[in-house]
Amino acid sequence: MPVFVEVLQTWPAARCKRRCRPRCKRGDGAIRCEAASIPDDTKALLFTLDSLCGLMPRAVASHLLQPFASLTGAGAPFSKGSTAMHILDATMRRPRALGIACVIGAVVLGVVYLAIAGAPMRYLGINAGALVIGLTMLALLGRTVAAGQRWTGGAIIVMAGALLATALLGSEAEGAARWVFLGGLAIQPSLILLPVMIVAFCRTRSVLATGGIVAAAAAMALQPDRAMTRMLVLCLTTLLVIRRDRHVVMALAASIAGFGATLARADTLPAVPYVDQILYSSFDIHVGAGLAVLGGSVLLLVPAIAGWNRDVENRATYAAFGAVWFAAIMAAALGNYPTPIVGYGGSAIIGYAFSLLALPKLAGLVAQVSSRTSGTTDGSPSDRHLLVALA
Amino acid sequence: MSRTRALSPHARIVLAVLLDAGGRWSHGYELARLADVKSGTLYPLLIRLETQGYLEAEWQQPAEGGRPPRHAYRLTASGVQLARANPPGQTSTRVVPRREATI
Repeated sequence: MPVFVEVLQTWPAARCKRRCRPRCKRGDGAIRCEAASIPDDTKALLFTLDSLCGLMPRAVASHLLQPFASLTGAGAPFSKGSTAMHILDATMRRPRALGIACVIGAVVLGVVYLAIAGAPMRYLGINAGALVIGLTMLALLGRTVAAGQRWTGGAIIVMAGALLATALLGSEAEGAARWVFLGGLAIQPSLILLPVMIVAFCRTRSVLATGGIVAAAAAMALQPDRAMTRMLVLCLTTLLVIRRDRHVVMALAASIAGFGATLARADTLPAVPYVDQILYSSFDIHVGAGLAVLGGSVLLLVPAIAGWNRDVENRATYAAFGAVWFAAIMAAALGNYPTPIVGYGGSAIIGYAFSLLALPKLAGLVAQVSSRTSGTTDGSPSDRHLLVALA
Repeated sequence: MSRTRALSPHARIVLAVLLDAGGRWSHGYELARLADVKSGTLYPLLIRLETQGYLEAEWQQPAEGGRPPRHAYRLTASGVQLARANPPGQTSTRVVPRREATI
């Protein structure tokens, strides 16, 4: 037997054979034995190497799907589905990964809208750059957040301080102080920080976190930002309905007071092209532009809907997340406020990616798997496999 | 859901070689040589054809000792139909209007 045939014992498909026998048992064993039957070593080597190249993608795909083998193996509900179905199902069980896919999709649709609408190329680049920044932040902070849940209250306080500082020291336009200038770009901190603050508050309620939300409500009233105080009111009302406690009641009372304060002051900011009022105007430009804006906006709510359906334990979190972005979309529909993600503006893109930090990585896998199989739970698998598969 | 797709030129040639073999079993190396197809292309194709029921495969014990068993392939009845309907040399972009031609 040629020596290189031994190499085949260790190549990925061969290892895959042992672990994913149903998927690739026909390929690697047949090649190994066929190569052994070729008398000329050089020809056998070329045959083997070429086979390796041809089957490697299948082996890699099998390897990537290995974490989901318990759901895709023989007898599992999706065992007869396609690879795409397996990836879709696995994605739906990972709210954070699903959110990443959704924000990428929404940004792409937003770029499509901007391109059709004839926006300056710089706008397209800024939105794409914001996506990169947001996802990088998510990747960097994703691990530390899991390890430091007890610091959530403090983090909410710090973010509330940033919002207050914006209200007091930020750049003003038409009487509203909502922006800070960084690197020549005007950034709206409330769109970045408030969504993650609300969803994090939902998961970690404490005196400190409640104080942070109250301070944020005060900051929004001071800026003033009617859309953001409305977001606070809607989310906290949703929380009150789902899980009432004194922290929510107190935060809601503060946000209602803040909303009242913003109503008392006229909001005279004019609509900005490619930013405000595009939910309506995009259809006037082109039906494709309108569909891109509409589709991108719907995508923002998908993680909340999927999580609500699949993770009963954390429904309040998904409700808060959905309420945050629904409120942002409605604010853009009703007034001159930025259309999140699909319109020009990087703050909402970074804010959406940032708010994904507050979603669980895994939606009720333990309960689901244990009801389908026995002894195959996966405590906290990485999203890496899924991201590679999506790529 | 499966889709109707055109057969690739390689698939047509491999099917033609298997059709020429009649009911005789063929081995991977032999198929690769006769069809002039690289083994990296051949094996994924054979796996797909077998999964779709156009091929049957079996392990055959070697005639002489000291050799490992070999995997052999031949066309099923539906595979023969597919091979006859898709001879090599036709334009590869033509869509085969048959649902079972989903390679």
